[in-house]
Amino acid sequence: MRKTGRIISKMAWYIVMLFVAFIMLYPLIFSLLAGLNTRQEFGHMGALFPVPSVPQFQNLLFMFSMRGLRPLLNTFLRTGWYTVIVCMMAVLIGYVMARYKFKGKNFFLISILAVQVIPGVLTLIPGFIFMSQLPFVGGNNWRGYGGSGLINNPLSIFLPLGWGFLIWVFLFMQTMKSMPKDFEEAAQLDGCGFWRMIFQVIIPMNKPIIAVIAVNVALGVWNDWLIPFLYVTDMQHSTLPAYLGMLTSQLQQFGENDYPRIFAMSTVATIPPLIIFLFLQRHIIEGIASAGVKG
Amino acid sequence: MALKRLSREKREARIAYMIIIPFFIYIAFWNLIPLVQGIFYGFTNFNALSPPTWVGLNNFRRFFDPVNQYITLLWRQIWMGVLALSINTVLSFFIGLALNAKMKGRGFFRVSVYIPAVAAVSVTTAVFVSLLDPINGGLNRFLISVGQNPIAWSHSQFWMVFWVIVFFVWRNVGMAAIIWLGGLQGIDPALHEAAQIDGASKFQRLRYVTLPGLRFVAGYIILTGIIAVMQMFDVVMFISAGNPFGQTDVLMYRIYRYGAVHFNLGMAGTSSTILGALTLVFAVIYLRFNFKREENEHA
Repeated sequence: MRKTGRIISKMAWYIVMLFVAFIMLYPLIFSLLAGLNTRQEFGHMGALFPVPSVPQFQNLLFMFSMRGLRPLLNTFLRTGWYTVIVCMMAVLIGYVMARYKFKGKNFFLISILAVQVIPGVLTLIPGFIFMSQLPFVGGNNWRGYGGSGLINNPLSIFLPLGWGFLIWVFLFMQTMKSMPKDFEEAAQLDGCGFWRMIFQVIIPMNKPIIAVIAVNVALGVWNDWLIPFLYVTDMQHSTLPAYLGMLTSQLQQFGENDYPRIFAMSTVATIPPLIIFLFLQRHIIEGIASAGVKG
Repeated sequence: MALKRLSREKREARIAYMIIIPFFIYIAFWNLIPLVQGIFYGFTNFNALSPPTWVGLNNFRRFFDPVNQYITLLWRQIWMGVLALSINTVLSFFIGLALNAKMKGRGFFRVSVYIPAVAAVSVTTAVFVSLLDPINGGLNRFLISVGQNPIAWSHSQFWMVFWVIVFFVWRNVGMAAIIWLGGLQGIDPALHEAAQIDGASKFQRLRYVTLPGLRFVAGYIILTGIIAVMQMFDVVMFISAGNPFGQTDVLMYRIYRYGAVHFNLGMAGTSSTILGALTLVFAVIYLRFNFKREENEHA
């Protein structure tokens, strides 16, 4: 009697979880299938599973033409750049905060934590205006008027550094504090300087937590469509998710939409983060879980 | 010896400042200046073409005049946010609980619930827009094929709010579930065993062992959730664009339009300041409430 009850509850678990997994994966399956249609066929199909009669690859291939490739390349560059910068920042500041004694450490620590609760609404639009009013760039005078500043400048999606990233400094610092100091002390006795210590002791010994930080930052930056969307209007200087944001927001306005092209681009835009996620999911999940427990 | 130690501390302090201060100055440049500027714009009329003119509290008076609809949009931001956040929190808790069961294949399910968060919002909303197309959309064709009447989704406030919330939950439930899961796995199994030996039922164990152990995790999910939903506008912009007739418009979406499209930066600044301050107030109230409860239970 108990045994059949257990089997039934096991069955129920699998049915419910399969249902949940299906819902979660459905939009991605949909966009993969839809991207393989021609515009005409998709327009008349209206199916929940738009399986094409003959798979078409021209929309996917568009991504690898000159016009499609630039945004993709920009996304890769931007993601890589921020991942490196944030990891460097987390390691350097996290290390000195965990190990060194100096005046004002508490001030730095409190400001790292305090800025995490400042709502992004307070800086989103002013940040955009700030970009457009930087003096002496993009035709601006010394007061920041007359031109467009860094708006639409390819650099504008690489320069700003949001203070939300400081949370990773905190995570690295907490991890360092729980590590033994033996190796560092031995290296110090051997006369190891600061930069050698960072590159030959700290980074090799903390690879797991650096991986957690890198993967989470990379996913976040890849999927950040809003900043490039705001700062850059010429899509050749923008990123793929921002390009798609522009196309998706126009879906509300026009009657005839080239859905298959959007979905083919979506598929291409989703594949790199999906691969990162599938290979490194342990690190991502660890990062999210520890953010909840330690924060 | 004492001399050497002192110099070492001095050296450490110098290195620390040389590392930290450049980063902090750079970050302050890109964040602190816009923050202060944005609050300042709230007291001015400003269109980014000519310097701002000071108007004192005029913008705030306009904000609180019901004719201008700001209050309506703020209220809608709050109730849509609360609805989305509470559904997300409850649903993700049960998914987290289910993922914690020792079953074969749970690794696959853990990955699959997180996958929506791997794709950008701008990418996955297009699927919803396509499915909700009134004539050629997959959902209406499906309704017709099972003998139901098609629904003009975008002409109904109810359905647009419904789909915005469905999207929000679909995208965020996995992340919250994994945070819950981290909390669940952090609970000492010995506590569960002790309760079981004392004859506690499954439900009692959930209520008296699991839930108290999850207090910090719950606090984190709800706190970050409050901050997120009070600024949610991208989902609204992509899925409903505020339709029908602005009935699903929210304050953050108007701030975005004023800031990036209409350049009514004075009102954008005022609304941002009010929305941001309100978010902080909610966060503080929630934290106070949470800590108070804890103190009572410890006493």
